[in-house]
Amino acid sequence: MADARLALFGEAISRTRAAVGMTLHRRDGQAVFAVVTAVYLFVYLWGIGHLAAGLGGFGVTVVDDLVATLLQSEGAFSFRPIARVALGPITYLASLNTVIGGAVAALVGLNLSLSYLAWRQPAACGIGQSSSGLLAGIPALLSGTACCGPVVLIAVGIQASSTLLTAFQFLLPAAVLILVGSLLLVGRQVTVAQ
Amino acid sequence: MPRLTRRHLLATAGIAALAGCSSRNSGNAAQLSGPLELPTADARLPLPTTADALTDEARSGGPGKDGIPSIDDPQFIDAADADVLGPGDPVFGVARDGVKKAYPQKILVSHEIVNDDLGGTPVAVTDCPLTGTAQGFERGNTEFGVSGRLINANLVMYDRTTEAWWPQILATSIPGPWNESPEIRSLREFRLIWTTWERWQGQHPDTQVLSTDTGHASNYGRDPYGSYNPRGGYYESENMLFPGRTDDDRFHPKRVVMGARTADGAVAFLKDAIRENRVMSGELGATPVTAVYDDRYDTAYVYRNPDEQEVSDADGDIAVIGTTYAPDDLPLSRIHTFDAMWFAWVGYYPETNVYG
Repeated sequence: MADARLALFGEAISRTRAAVGMTLHRRDGQAVFAVVTAVYLFVYLWGIGHLAAGLGGFGVTVVDDLVATLLQSEGAFSFRPIARVALGPITYLASLNTVIGGAVAALVGLNLSLSYLAWRQPAACGIGQSSSGLLAGIPALLSGTACCGPVVLIAVGIQASSTLLTAFQFLLPAAVLILVGSLLLVGRQVTVAQ
Repeated sequence: MPRLTRRHLLATAGIAALAGCSSRNSGNAAQLSGPLELPTADARLPLPTTADALTDEARSGGPGKDGIPSIDDPQFIDAADADVLGPGDPVFGVARDGVKKAYPQKILVSHEIVNDDLGGTPVAVTDCPLTGTAQGFERGNTEFGVSGRLINANLVMYDRTTEAWWPQILATSIPGPWNESPEIRSLREFRLIWTTWERWQGQHPDTQVLSTDTGHASNYGRDPYGSYNPRGGYYESENMLFPGRTDDDRFHPKRVVMGARTADGAVAFLKDAIRENRVMSGELGATPVTAVYDDRYDTAYVYRNPDEQEVSDADGDIAVIGTTYAPDDLPLSRIHTFDAMWFAWVGYYPETNVYG
């Protein structure tokens, strides 16, 4: 029984890998992946305040103790910036959060590009899963706001209870788990033409 | 020093999302060697309940210990070079021992504490965005850091020598998880004037200004809570991000009061009422007090006036029994006074008198 489940899981991974490979070899798949990943990363960085309106001007400021600062946690899944990049009206803060956000963005991008592929292969599967990747990415967007007090709550007028703050800490890992699960669900249904 | 843990490395690889939930409490500031030599107030300031009960009220504000990094090596620039400040931007000014400095709110909102030096006196300049309180403390041979905990939605500082907790508004030590039995005492405070850059620079054209070169890669163009110029977001909304200690609906929770407290009690004057009336009277405990407005900075001071001497407005100055004085220099005993949001003041001082 366990062996059968393991085999099914292995097959799902194998089919997903093949589907991902095929998607990223197609121009339309690459385009969907690149656009979705870039847009999601942009929104993620904006959400955590690492890409925002700044003081203006152009310049790069790097902290002195680069490695120690890079690994310095500010809160759950939130890391201290190591560089400030002023690009006129926009300021970008470089930190491990960009890496984390990039990884989540790539997962969302893969989900949607695979969903796109599944949609282009209607015989292989329905399009029921096509929106799951996007929805799964939402918790990760919210998670970023947990670092400085979930200021998103100001807008909706909800107080930050201990329970809510704890819940915010799990939004990012939850999003990653859902995205990986969603990817396998879609990927195993895509038929890769040999 | 930061700890390089396996969890951090996993985070680097982008899969920390599945592994690293407990890195939130890792602080960056080393504990300082003792013994602690801290100038303290002559009389302990009042607490709304026992120190232990206050500790039990502490809650996480989101970031961990030192997750909001204090500025420990502040740099200053001349007023002429402070081109990131608009005329109406809030600054916290201090003129003391021949030193004149302005600390922009737009910088402190990201750090909350500046461990600085004023004319040879080590000080901590502190700002809690959630309660609208900017307070100065003498810090002796220690530094203060941000604990990451809130009481009454107010910043809880910790000293880096004994690691006792110090709620900012109370300015008094209480137990915490890193020091469960500190000596309960109050810090020696000094006045930070909450004013605008235009007003401060007008009075002190030779002032120094805290530089954005803080040693941290922060975006000082972004206030995560809202805006003071013009006022918006959390600073004007009736919505609370974290609850205060009491529910008091006499005024808008974010309405600014000028508060003063001593071991005898607390008193608050609505800031807009002082602005309009120029001089107001009240009582702190059983002692008559007088609040006077200073239009140079749009601020106010509270004085003990036990003999109830006649105090009146005199075209910007203040007259006491017919003789005029600057508002910050009356021949009366001045009580440490600072701006605070109403909910924060009444939360910590529920028995306060309030006038408006």
